[in-house]
Amino acid sequence: MKVKNKRLRTIRDYVIIFLIGLVLLYPIIWMIFATFKTNEEIFGSVKLLPENFSFQYYIEGWKGSGRITYTQFFINTFLLVLPTTILTVISAALVAYGFARFHFPFKKILFVLLIAMMMLPNSVVIIPRYTLYNGFKWVNTYMPFYAPALLCCNSFFPYMLIQFLRGLPTELDESAYMDGCGTLKTFTHILLPLMKPALFSAGLFQFLWTYNDYFNSLIFINSVKKYPISLALRMSLDAESVVQWGKVMAMAAVAVLPVIALFFAAQRYFVEGIATSGLKG
Amino acid sequence: MKGKANYRKRDYQAFFYIMPWLIGFAVLQLYPFVSSFIFSFADYNIGAKPVFIGLENYKKLFTQDKEFWNSLKVTILFALYTVPGKLIMALAVAMFLNRDIKGINLIRTLYYIPSLFGGSVAVALLWRLMFLDNGVMNAMLTALHLPNVQFIGDTRYALKTICALEIWQFGSSMVMFLAALKQVPKSLYEAAQIDGAGKVRMFFSITLPQISPIIFFNLLNQMIQALQNFTSASVITEGGPLKATYVLGLKLYKEGFSYFKMGYASAISWVVFTVIVAGTLIIFGSSKFWVHYGDE
Amino acid sequence: MKKRVLAAVMAAAMTAGLVTGCGGSSDSGTQAAATQAAGETEGAKNDETKAAAASSDEEITLRMSWWGGDERNEATLQVIEQFEALHPNVTIEAEYGGNDGYHDKLATQLASGTAPDIVQVDPEIFPTYVNTGDYFLDYKDYNVDLSNFEEAYISVPINGNYDGKQLGLPTGISGAGIMVNKELADAIGLDFSKTYSWEDLIDMGKKVREYDDSMYLLCANKEYIVNLIVFNYAKQLIGDTVFNPETKALNMTEDQLKEVFDYVKRLYDEEVVPPASYQAAYSGDNLQSDTNWIGGKYVAALTYISTIDVMVAANPEAEYIMSELPILDGAAEAGWASNTPQVFAITSTCEHPEMAAEFMDYFFNNDEALATLGATRSVPPTEKARQICTENGSLTQVTMEGANIAAAMGGTPNDKISSSEESKTILFDSVETIGYGASSVEDVTKDAMSLLSGLGQ
Repeated sequence: MKVKNKRLRTIRDYVIIFLIGLVLLYPIIWMIFATFKTNEEIFGSVKLLPENFSFQYYIEGWKGSGRITYTQFFINTFLLVLPTTILTVISAALVAYGFARFHFPFKKILFVLLIAMMMLPNSVVIIPRYTLYNGFKWVNTYMPFYAPALLCCNSFFPYMLIQFLRGLPTELDESAYMDGCGTLKTFTHILLPLMKPALFSAGLFQFLWTYNDYFNSLIFINSVKKYPISLALRMSLDAESVVQWGKVMAMAAVAVLPVIALFFAAQRYFVEGIATSGLKG
Repeated sequence: MKGKANYRKRDYQAFFYIMPWLIGFAVLQLYPFVSSFIFSFADYNIGAKPVFIGLENYKKLFTQDKEFWNSLKVTILFALYTVPGKLIMALAVAMFLNRDIKGINLIRTLYYIPSLFGGSVAVALLWRLMFLDNGVMNAMLTALHLPNVQFIGDTRYALKTICALEIWQFGSSMVMFLAALKQVPKSLYEAAQIDGAGKVRMFFSITLPQISPIIFFNLLNQMIQALQNFTSASVITEGGPLKATYVLGLKLYKEGFSYFKMGYASAISWVVFTVIVAGTLIIFGSSKFWVHYGDE
Repeated sequence: MKKRVLAAVMAAAMTAGLVTGCGGSSDSGTQAAATQAAGETEGAKNDETKAAAASSDEEITLRMSWWGGDERNEATLQVIEQFEALHPNVTIEAEYGGNDGYHDKLATQLASGTAPDIVQVDPEIFPTYVNTGDYFLDYKDYNVDLSNFEEAYISVPINGNYDGKQLGLPTGISGAGIMVNKELADAIGLDFSKTYSWEDLIDMGKKVREYDDSMYLLCANKEYIVNLIVFNYAKQLIGDTVFNPETKALNMTEDQLKEVFDYVKRLYDEEVVPPASYQAAYSGDNLQSDTNWIGGKYVAALTYISTIDVMVAANPEAEYIMSELPILDGAAEAGWASNTPQVFAITSTCEHPEMAAEFMDYFFNNDEALATLGATRSVPPTEKARQICTENGSLTQVTMEGANIAAAMGGTPNDKISSSEESKTILFDSVETIGYGASSVEDVTKDAMSLLSGLGQ
């Protein structure tokens, strides 16, 4: 009886998951089918399925616009995104540890400043920021992405990690100190392993946001041969030219694949990380 | 209040850890931040020399600009719809997916996909197409024998339509909740089960308090994002119809980059900043009643 | 103690901000002075130019930016390669992308002195740049052959001429018109071939509704109604541009504006155009995605010459002819003239202006370049180029028709205040309010008048 109930429950769960998933993913499914459609089909009908399946738009789209292909855009994107992500995670973890585990002079005011940096809308700081970075000769390089990552300039990440750290009991640190560990060793040996889920999600977010960031890439990168995917996707969009939307959709779908793969591969780290290690509690 | 004596020697090592940010703050962040504040008191066209005009920008904003109060209202409504909407959606889905069944990894990935596109052109286009007068959503309403709705053209629905887009991309909050749920010690649930607690009670007395720091963080972060947001409004409705979706983020972007009035745009953004600070103070103030930290 | 440190930090920060801020603006001051100096010693400079051109082994890199679709990108890159082959010491770095955010970036670059050497600019945005700084060089100071352009065409501000300086060169001929679905118009019995009035337009709209109530006469959104109907009607009514470009005052009275807005209201009330709430989903550049246009439910569309091909591609089955916009009885001013979809300008921060000018000369005058570029920037701006394009078949019939009609209208283009984003937005909002019936035409007129007259100050 109990077994049967359990099986029924599992089936019910799958049905619910499937139904919610269908609603959530319908636009995406529609988009995938749109990569096979002509403009007339996309705009002229509500039918989901295309008239025929041809990978023509993927092939044409991959060629990019004006000589430079998506192969180059993908390479650029990884050159841009990977260092940015890694630097962000390292710097944010250090800063978060500093704020979460120590009681030091000016801590309150510094913390307020840290948070305040998230609160001013981005649009108005773009021009002074551009002037500043231009002074450093960073325009048309990836430094406008690397440097703020290294120097922990997106307060979202340290703050997020602070919140996760504060969820870990301080007794862990105390006992490490008792064992004669210094602060660095306490951090790297005791806390960091426990923060794995948070670190992986921080990395995932930074990866995703930098990957999708259109405006900063637009402003700071000039040469087409240095364009990341976010710029490439909008490259030939122009009101005065006939845009093949199927092609745009196809490239948008291809562009999202690495992020899907990353999430799929990395999720066991943040979903399974701690519970199985059973250290807490 | 707190004297120097309270600092342990070890505590000064904190400066070593926060050094990256201290440098970043001084070298990269402070100048743009402060200059936007100064520009908010200037008549500053992009490219021209700023002329200081005292409080004129703020005066104009509060007393003459009819759009401003509407935009403020729309922005706050946008935040009131999307922040709870996104958090509840994210938490519900995270709870639901926090289980061990076959293929759960794949399912979680699928649920996260909508959030992976961000504000990309593809999403903007497909969202607009779905909500057209003769788009898929209305076809569905017709199939259900419900009256059709002008999702984009009707001032009553336009804001809700872009809020739906925003809530649809709940994935990053969901990821944080999933990570937080895994931090909750299983022993707590086991103990509660022995005490005969039901699922609902366990949720409210164990799960919620345990993940409250992350709920708090998500709440704060989503509020900040929502009050600054302009991509969803700009890609779908461009602020219309009749300014029904003209959020402050969009207004300040237009003032700055379409009309080149950076001084005025700076003033608007400092108003947004103030609203965010007010919201933050409220959230922080309430936090001592509902947020429980493991380090306290 | 804490407080004092904080105060010191803040003070330091403020000074840093101010100092750097001033540094930035004094920089542009020097630039302006330099440009002026360059202008004064024009003769000397021309000699230098020749000297520089002669020593052709100097390695020169130029940056050039534009926005566009695939065809335009490819054609422009080919012209760059042709030029580089002729000048082995020159490299031209192409910086191209979509039109989304292009001008935001350009504004940032101009303000920081980092703009590319040659830039493509929207002629409607160009005046805003010209007004805020000395960003562009006068083509007349350099060796660019302008003789292929018609004098009357390039001497107007919208085509790049400001206060006698040729700061930009037009890339093509654009202008407004109405593209008509010929078969449908014939079936309903509408004649677009002769000159007609605004009143006639409304009558035609009624006929369309009588013929089939799922159809409308005009595919249009609030942006098109403002740019093509409000401005033209207003200019025909007042016999002048909406603003006086010298005094920056409004040329239009409140009654005149009300008459224009009354007409707009009739367009909606008498169902010449679809309801405002329907149009809302296709605002801005999205007219070509209107599903009813694609489905052939409109008899005609308001259009620019440069977007005709896009509109045709959205519903390629129909046959189209181009028609003039209506004209007010007894109007002294036709309202619309041909203009250009883009201008190319050389920025004042360019280090090798003579070479940039040489490239522009090649771009606009060389036979091979013109054949390569074809009609990728609308109908070409010079007779010579049009001939080349007609011969190689890169100009479509309907686009050519449109260009001829626009050229024949011969009105005055919009003044620079009218064409600013801000004045247009005021009018977009007014038309939208009228379309939704959200307030009376009187109130809309009053609001718009007070906002518009505030712009000149």
